[in-house]
Amino acid sequence: MENFDITDNLSFMKIEILETLRLVMDPELHINIIDLGLVYGVKIDEPNKQINIEMTLSSSYCPMGESILSAVKNCVESHYADYKANVELVWEPVWSYHSITDEGKRLLGI
Amino acid sequence: MTAIKTKAGLYRIVVIHYLVAALCFFSLPVMMLFSLKAFTGHYFHPQILAITHMAALGWGTMIILGASYQLIPVVLETELFSRKLAWVSFSLFLPGLIALVYSFWVFVPGIHMQCGAALLLVAIILFTINVYLTANKKKQQSIHEDFIFSACLCLCFTAALGTALVFNFTISIFSQDQLHFLKIHAHLGVVGWFLLMIIGVSSKLVPMFLVSSYQKTKLLSFSYYLIVSALLLFLVDSYFSGINYRTYLIALLGVAGVFCYLLFIFKCLKSRMRKKIDVPMMSTFLSFILLKIAIIIIPFIIYYHLKNNPVSIRYSLIYGVLLFMGWITALILGQTFKTLPFIVWVKHYEHLTGKVKTPMPADLFNNSLLKIQSLGFIIFCITFIPGCFFMSQPLLYTGISALIVTAAMYLANVFIMLFHKTKTYGKL
Repeated sequence: MENFDITDNLSFMKIEILETLRLVMDPELHINIIDLGLVYGVKIDEPNKQINIEMTLSSSYCPMGESILSAVKNCVESHYADYKANVELVWEPVWSYHSITDEGKRLLGI
Repeated sequence: MTAIKTKAGLYRIVVIHYLVAALCFFSLPVMMLFSLKAFTGHYFHPQILAITHMAALGWGTMIILGASYQLIPVVLETELFSRKLAWVSFSLFLPGLIALVYSFWVFVPGIHMQCGAALLLVAIILFTINVYLTANKKKQQSIHEDFIFSACLCLCFTAALGTALVFNFTISIFSQDQLHFLKIHAHLGVVGWFLLMIIGVSSKLVPMFLVSSYQKTKLLSFSYYLIVSALLLFLVDSYFSGINYRTYLIALLGVAGVFCYLLFIFKCLKSRMRKKIDVPMMSTFLSFILLKIAIIIIPFIIYYHLKNNPVSIRYSLIYGVLLFMGWITALILGQTFKTLPFIVWVKHYEHLTGKVKTPMPADLFNNSLLKIQSLGFIIFCITFIPGCFFMSQPLLYTGISALIVTAAMYLANVFIMLFHKTKTYGKL
């Protein structure tokens, strides 16, 4: 998860992107991907106008995986029209129960 | 992006299986209504044979084949080998099913029955080739793959033996009587095909739908080897000696395998992150209860069979009803609403998601119809099964009426999902 770095000019935008990604829901669990802890990082390549999202899925055989990834790309590109989005799917660190935020756990009824 | 992609053309082949299966399911209570008396007699009856094959092939197998084309690439983490082969298999399976069920119903063991059986056999072999070549694309082997491929092989053997039994009506192939091989044919189908396939697929899907943290596969390996050993021992032993005292031990071995699987499911349930259990998952858990009841009946069948008591026929009929109309039906009634909405949703909304507000997969079917369907099915279980045991016509009529309601609600929801029109609720 991203930390806010006051010395980084793009920090505010990164946090804004993460907030925007709360609009992307897991279609089965009905919880946004940020509270599920699926997004590991956001990098902004300002000169090339590119936003890179590093994320994972709850399971490598998730049948909705492709849909979630394209939802992230669509969501970023529709909110930041000047930028291209690139979604990188990673499997390390492995997603687990501990990745879910407190709000996510509350929504899951844990 | 490297998640598993679902080919667009797969949609048609998958949904045609769901649609035909739903129609076959609706035809089941109608067939049962016209053959009520058959449920109070011996299970080797033309109309019971027709109903059993409609349930096993038209309903259970049809939906598993359709779901397999969607789920096997997911479970095996690779793409389906060939969609064309899937279409050829379906084009042979459907006429084969109609010919076989009709010729059982009117009981004319001639060319129609033989052609029906042969078409089904070829369709099943083509399906197995498709699964084998799909699995072959993957380097790593898993216990799920063992379950799935063993299940497909058993389906081929079940169909081959079934075809031989059909020919045996007119040409003498076997020296022993038809009932002797019917046990082998039925258990190859129920244990070899349905049980192994259901364990193979559900052991991947149930933890995923529950968001379970339990990942170990040791129990599944135990389950696989125990069930396969029990099945092989049963086939060899019952071929040479029929049902005997050893059958108790063989059944115990198989039950231990099922217990390992149920323990795996229980561990997934206990470690689940998603606490709320929805109606489709409730139906799935009901199916496990019905499977347990069917297992409890096995020692009674063996006991009365060894005593030459005709009550064993009654228990065998109930055992069959519990397996086909209980366990398999409850599982399909639940899992349809866990798979089909996602398949339809991906087709309509994958390109829109993230851009505009869209319905969720669970919004694509009518939840009230699903609740009536579930209630109807529970009424069917608590009336029809005791009705078979006590040979009570009022209970049988109540059960069949409840099953008609269940099937009508199910069919209506399948139509609602398949004819869904894309709708959006404005920009995100």
